[in-house]
Amino acid sequence: MKHQITVRLYNCSNIQLLLRFAGRSARSVVVILMLATSSALAESGAQFAKANQEYAAGHFKEAVDGYQSLAHGGKWTANLFYDLGNAYFHTGDLGRAILNYERALTLDRHHPEAQANLRIARDEARALEMTPTSGERFTQFASANQLTIAAAMAFWFGVFSLARWIFSGRRSSGAIGLSILSLLIFAITVASIFWIDSGNKGRGLAVVTENDVEARLATADNARSVLALPPGSEIKILSKRGDWIYAALPNDLRGWIAAKNAEQVRL
Amino acid sequence: MGLSMYGRLRVAVLFAALIALAGSQQALADSPSVTAVLNNDQVAVGETVQLQIKVSNARGAEVPDHISVDGLEIQRTGTEQHVEMNNFNVSTSAIYDYTILPMTAGTFKIPPQNIRIAGKNLTTPELTLHVTNFGGSPSRSQPNGAQQQALNAKNIGFLEFVVPKRAGYVGEVLPVEIKVGLSSRVQFQGMPELPDPNVQGVTLQRAQEGEQNIETIGGVTYRVLTYKGALAAIHAGKIELPPLQIAVTALVRRSAPPSRAPRNRSPFDVFGMRDPFDDPFFSDPFARFSGEPTKILLKSEPVTLEIKPLPANPPASFSGAVGHFAMTVDAKPKHVQVGDPITITSTVSGRGNFDRMGAPTLEDERGWHKYPPSAKFKQDDDVGISGAKTFEMVISPNDRKSSIPPLSFSYFDPLKEDYMTVRSDPIPVQVEGTAVAAAQPSAGTLAPQPGAATPATAKPQDILYQLTEFGRVQSFTPIYARPVFWMVQIFPLAALLGFVGLKLRQAKIDNRQAQRIAALQHEAAELMRKLRRNDVSPEEYFSKASRAVRVKAALAKSIDPNTVDPEMAANAFQLDENSREQLRKLFARSDELRYSGRPNGARTISPHDHDEVLHLIENLRT
Repeated sequence: MKHQITVRLYNCSNIQLLLRFAGRSARSVVVILMLATSSALAESGAQFAKANQEYAAGHFKEAVDGYQSLAHGGKWTANLFYDLGNAYFHTGDLGRAILNYERALTLDRHHPEAQANLRIARDEARALEMTPTSGERFTQFASANQLTIAAAMAFWFGVFSLARWIFSGRRSSGAIGLSILSLLIFAITVASIFWIDSGNKGRGLAVVTENDVEARLATADNARSVLALPPGSEIKILSKRGDWIYAALPNDLRGWIAAKNAEQVRL
Repeated sequence: MGLSMYGRLRVAVLFAALIALAGSQQALADSPSVTAVLNNDQVAVGETVQLQIKVSNARGAEVPDHISVDGLEIQRTGTEQHVEMNNFNVSTSAIYDYTILPMTAGTFKIPPQNIRIAGKNLTTPELTLHVTNFGGSPSRSQPNGAQQQALNAKNIGFLEFVVPKRAGYVGEVLPVEIKVGLSSRVQFQGMPELPDPNVQGVTLQRAQEGEQNIETIGGVTYRVLTYKGALAAIHAGKIELPPLQIAVTALVRRSAPPSRAPRNRSPFDVFGMRDPFDDPFFSDPFARFSGEPTKILLKSEPVTLEIKPLPANPPASFSGAVGHFAMTVDAKPKHVQVGDPITITSTVSGRGNFDRMGAPTLEDERGWHKYPPSAKFKQDDDVGISGAKTFEMVISPNDRKSSIPPLSFSYFDPLKEDYMTVRSDPIPVQVEGTAVAAAQPSAGTLAPQPGAATPATAKPQDILYQLTEFGRVQSFTPIYARPVFWMVQIFPLAALLGFVGLKLRQAKIDNRQAQRIAALQHEAAELMRKLRRNDVSPEEYFSKASRAVRVKAALAKSIDPNTVDPEMAANAFQLDENSREQLRKLFARSDELRYSGRPNGARTISPHDHDEVLHLIENLRT
């Protein structure tokens, strides 16, 4: 019995040691992660600054390479894509300029510079735009992420109200009304997220990046043309088959486009 | 038995006379003869003519298979045997058919041919054939005086190139017909391939499938294939269309000339009578399906077109359309934002040269981006000169607009001999939003004037400046697809579960309290039932009475009944001083009886005490 107590004491001291060690380790990990993150940010900032210098010097292709290396590394910011779009614009690649302005606006839908330059690039390229669906027009006041947060809040508020109403001794109509209202808001926001995500400007949005692209009736270069798509034109990818994508086109048309001629906006 | 000797003699004499008469007739017809004829002595190069050598009253004549004449190809193509009987005069004859194909123009002498009959040599007469460069055959009726035709190869077939209207304007569509007629009595190898006139300055559209019908021309039945088409001249002036030529391979029948025309009176038909058996079928029933393949050239007449140029100074929207047209225009959507595409669908319908037609144009392109139009043509006829051409043009507004400018389409009307312009009405649209503010123009770049036209070749606008702040790293993945979002949901979920657990525990506790109260109520009722009986000992009675007071007090104050003393019970029921004193006595008596160890006094309780205690307890109410 004595022996057992001794062992327990030994174990307790060991756990304390372990906890102390774990606490120190966690702090160390957090510190290391913070240092690594700040180091990576500093490195990204340096690359970004260097690409900006190339841009300022008029070396637009070098600037494109610099911005692209950051984008390939997953360091996605609205400003990065905006600057990359500017660099492409000056190289004359209006399709990719429009693509990167669109990416900037996907990350920050109120990016004013990207909005302005996108309009200019579209005017230059005479790019075609997809018309937003009625659902997208209805939900244009908020982004999908904002609606997601609103949906989560409405859901939990509604569920808590319902639980309170269920367990309450005095079941008031106001409590159940609040619960129903919250869950209704939740349903509307979820539907809005679906509309945004599956709409013409949603997850399937892509931009034509090459010149002289034509959407065709079938997956063949000599198939009948449906619509000529200037670079920068928006399409919505519906499905993929080999090297071809089937896309919804501006003017309510549909057709096949070689996959190499378009890039999806969302990475 | 019926006939006498005299009668028999009379029959024998008559029979002998008939025999003698027949023998004399046969003797008269026995002398063989030979002659030769041409069914036409004047033909054109490429046309064929039939040569017939007739051998009468002889069998087994030896005739040449081939006759050599320079400039003529003469081939034996068949033999016919005839047996004729006129007034008991029976004659036999054999007709040997030859087909002559002149290769060059000129006058040819076909020399006499030696025909050997039963060891004798007979000679055909010399024949003369005149061959010209162009066919001199009789013409068909010409409906509008403009058809050119040639019955070639003596009724075997013909080729016509019919151009009813031979004067027009550049680009004007002139309807034409190409007719290929082949004699129904002649078997042909395959169908001829229709030629296209290969003339510079003229385009020909024609239907791929021709209409087939039967025509009888000059007594000859033809299977006629008619191809409809349209000519259009590219330049002005006199345009000569050379003759169309087509080669057909005919299986020339051995039995008869390929014509069911009223037969020319045969030089061998002395009496001018048609033998009912004088049909090729009886001489060779399979002749229709066999014969010598002979290549025959069918040729049309040349055609001359007089083409006038279009008048000078065409309208701005003229793109080359010549004919007569109408236009309809529609646009959708009609409610858009600035920069959104609008599809204008314009349909030009009518009759004319749709292949050279350009799309209608916007009269005022200022403030609009215009994209190259696409076109679809739906023809109403086989040729493609009548139908509707639909143009789809995408435009996008650069700023607010209330209508799409009119579209205009110009064409040249050959009937009115002038340019015509059709114009659509402005299409009302609602364009919302504002034009994006132009970027700060760099030095030397002029900002466009408001309302000024944006030419397609305008100098590119300057884009906005570069941003030097890297910004916050973000993800394209929607927040609902990120694990962190769902991990965060654990917190409200845990809170909900805690809340629900708390409420359930509270309910359970409340339930336990209710059970306790129910048990106390049950106990109180049981005690009161026993207290109303008179057969209980004083110890038990007072014990149960005090217990009943404790239980009632516990029910009134939600406390443990064992902790209730007289004062607490009196306070619980707010008793007056007399009742309090009774209650104290009750508890004292109960304690005394419980703890004294022996009975003290009577064994049963007095009725007075019973009623007093019962009354006191029954009146304990909050």
